[in-house]
Amino acid sequence: MDDSPTMRRMVAACLRELASVSFEEAGSGLEAIERLALDPANLIILDLNMPDMHGLEVLGFLRKHQALRSTPVIILTTRGDETSRAAAMSAGASVYLTKPFEPQELFEQARKLLSTLEGSPGA
Amino acid sequence: MPDSDAPNSHQFFDQFLADYLVESEEHLTALRQELLALEHFVGKPQIDEALLDELFRRCHTLKGISGMVGLAEAEQVAHRMESYLRVLRQGQLPLSEHGLESLIASVRLLEQIIEARRSNAALPDITSVIAELSRLSQNTDSDHGVAPTAKPPMQRATGQGVRLWRFEFMPSRELVERGINVNTARARLQEIGEIRRSVPLVKAQGQIAFGFVVASSADESVFAGWRDDGLEYAAVDAGSEVTPSDEALLEQQPAAGLPRATSNVVRVDLTRLDDLMSLVGDLVMSRARLENRIKQLRTVLDAPEWRPLQETSSLMERQLRDLRHAVMRVRMVQIGEIFERMRFVIRDLARENRKKVALDVSGQNTEIDKFVVERMMDPLLHLVRNAVSHGLESSEERLRSGKSAEGLIRLRARTAGERVIIEIEDDGRGIDVEKVEQRARERGLIAPGTHIDDDTLLDIITAPTFSTQDKANRESGRGVGLDVVKNSVEELKASISLWTERGRGTRFSIHLPLTLAIADVLLALVEGQTFAVPQAAVQEIIEVEPQAVSVLENNEVISYRGGVLPLVRLAKVFRLAANGGGRSFHVFVIGSGPNAAGLVVDRVIGQREVVVRAASDPLLQVPGISGATEIGDGRVVLILNVEKLLLPAAEYEQRLSG
Amino acid sequence: MRTPGSETFVIMEIAGTAYGVHSHSVQQLEMVESITLVPNAAPSVEGVVFSRGNVVPAISLRARFGFEKIPYDLRTRLVVISSGTRLVGLIADSAREYISIPAEAIQPPPEAITGASVNYVQGVATVGGRVVIILNVDEVIHGIAEPPPDGSPDSVSDVQASM
Repeated sequence: MDDSPTMRRMVAACLRELASVSFEEAGSGLEAIERLALDPANLIILDLNMPDMHGLEVLGFLRKHQALRSTPVIILTTRGDETSRAAAMSAGASVYLTKPFEPQELFEQARKLLSTLEGSPGA
Repeated sequence: MPDSDAPNSHQFFDQFLADYLVESEEHLTALRQELLALEHFVGKPQIDEALLDELFRRCHTLKGISGMVGLAEAEQVAHRMESYLRVLRQGQLPLSEHGLESLIASVRLLEQIIEARRSNAALPDITSVIAELSRLSQNTDSDHGVAPTAKPPMQRATGQGVRLWRFEFMPSRELVERGINVNTARARLQEIGEIRRSVPLVKAQGQIAFGFVVASSADESVFAGWRDDGLEYAAVDAGSEVTPSDEALLEQQPAAGLPRATSNVVRVDLTRLDDLMSLVGDLVMSRARLENRIKQLRTVLDAPEWRPLQETSSLMERQLRDLRHAVMRVRMVQIGEIFERMRFVIRDLARENRKKVALDVSGQNTEIDKFVVERMMDPLLHLVRNAVSHGLESSEERLRSGKSAEGLIRLRARTAGERVIIEIEDDGRGIDVEKVEQRARERGLIAPGTHIDDDTLLDIITAPTFSTQDKANRESGRGVGLDVVKNSVEELKASISLWTERGRGTRFSIHLPLTLAIADVLLALVEGQTFAVPQAAVQEIIEVEPQAVSVLENNEVISYRGGVLPLVRLAKVFRLAANGGGRSFHVFVIGSGPNAAGLVVDRVIGQREVVVRAASDPLLQVPGISGATEIGDGRVVLILNVEKLLLPAAEYEQRLSG
Repeated sequence: MRTPGSETFVIMEIAGTAYGVHSHSVQQLEMVESITLVPNAAPSVEGVVFSRGNVVPAISLRARFGFEKIPYDLRTRLVVISSGTRLVGLIADSAREYISIPAEAIQPPPEAITGASVNYVQGVATVGGRVVIILNVDEVIHGIAEPPPDGSPDSVSDVQASM
């Protein structure tokens, strides 16, 4: 989820080659949470700056919620500083990537997270 | 310099350049408006937080997407703007005049960078703007204006009879199917008041809900019915009336320039409109099929049973035509959007030229095709620049000639029949006709003895050899680059006219077509390739079985309405590998009487209203092709000139009868 | 790096040979997506594409230079160039580099290839041990036979089928 449609399209393009991936896009924090509540995802890609909620607030909320707690989250942000990274990781992010990102890297990380998921039934 | 060693991620993301350009344009437009609103906070101890947040977020998004497409210059500038805005947001510094100027300069620079990327031109230098912004961000001890104050919690806008309400929205699949989700719920709440707070909540059994605190003066009856749409509510604090100091703050809000109310405008991609149009086209085809069936039923049904069917079908046809026009209307945008942009430019130029300029805008609601609007931007900018920089006199000069110190620029738009007229007028010095005439004669642009009227004058000042920048031209009251204006205007099949009077001012009027060349076409497949045939040329479409074709001398004919109809196979004319045969095919009947002929295609696949574009390159001058269009997938579809295509057959027919 | 007395070229590769076009005439580098065939156009006119809203003919440089055509792949590029008031797309096997070539490094074309058929060669440069043929794009375009004046159905052949 990212408030920029261009960025969302880029992310989707990077993940296009992952087999059996379908995308749900969301442009704001509340919208993202609603989507996840109604239709749980296997992987969440999250921007930190969104119009209504900070990405870490979204993450914090997800991590508190029973059903969404274990869904891996990739943070995708322009903030390269250590503090932001550390804050995101301690809030429960699985992977922290900075923009501009390499398509290959996002793809690899997503693939890794999804394959660990497949290995653990019930996730 | 880009070379083969550049990381391939940029190449990968290059495919999103078009997306990037569209989105960044949107952010820039909004940034310009928001900066105008920000101007009201220069020197004030507090800046509207929501406005700063919005500015900050836009810069942040621009930074992110610029980085992705490898436009490091834009990324840098946006980054520095963001840093400065952060300082402002934290209340460490009041906004100085200089700070605002730098932000405006930055937006202009971003615009230039993105434009340069669009046209593959050299990127502008960003060092001075970057340096300025970082100086501003670091300089926390202010030397201008008001000293920083500890920021008190900002009392947010509340008004007479405003109450706080707590809303809770519980999303569900059923609601989503009815088109109700957290976004639409939020939009509803924004309509009745101000959302103070919004949070996700976990309810019993792990259900997710959203809580909103809304300040609203709306009567409860307005939203009582929303309970059916999953929006529960309760009053928070009954009858909390507003203090006078809050009132005072409230007064400031509208003064902050542009209305920042929830926009009721939906952004639609042109390609989506094209999709919609194609669905309408499909409907038109289905109705045609229905009409056919109804015609066949005439023989088996009694009139009282048959007539209502026929009438319903006719009604549907009219309704479909209305639907088609309604979709076309969605392509129209209000010209006000670009007038707003001019406001920004004028403000800048006035400052640069140390002139006082008032802007009078009318007809902002005039609608014009989006495609046309985008292409009018540059010529309008040009004319406005010229008007401010060269048309208007300095304040002193104006006062000396008995005018008010403040110059006036008028931007007007109005619809006249099938055209839209846009006027740019100044009350400046007017064009010095003698000077222009003298220069034109020196350069041999006019024959001796020619009378100079406004039209001739326009021809002269828009001649490429004349309108280059030089001192004399500037002094003559007209600026530069008018040849460019003329070219863009002509490309849009528009025209331009001029009025000028010494000492009174100058006015340019641009007459634009309301929409571009739009035609109804039928789409047909021939050997896998799609072609478009102008509907106006087609009398009828018939389906023909191969065995119905007979060969007469070298021509294929079918019997048609008691005579013979010669056939011309498009696949053959266009030398497309013809492997059809054995299957039935569609024939466009073109012309009537002895000149009628049938154009054979494999299948008619639909009907569309399309924008016709010229295929004017000599390499594309192929007999039988009149232009090109696209039908939504970015692919070119050739438009046929059927009269030309059928010429050989028609001649043949004439030979037979003669 | 740009140095005085040198010019920037976009390098296109066609059948293993490097060709340079002046970067100032290059409007756009695009991936080749969908080209619409134009019936009865000259053989080296591959078709027509939209480039920024303009209807632009796409020319196969392979066909123009007498090489066999190959299928498009991810490296294939459409190099949109302006020539006078025209916009024309050139299809190259790849086009990824911008290089700067000093004016003195460009030699006139060798006598052996100055026949009428190759008047689109403006010069030859050796850059880092690699030979770059500098193209005169106007000649590349103008040399293409215009479409036959009539597309009479009697002259049907399977020209298109071989494309």
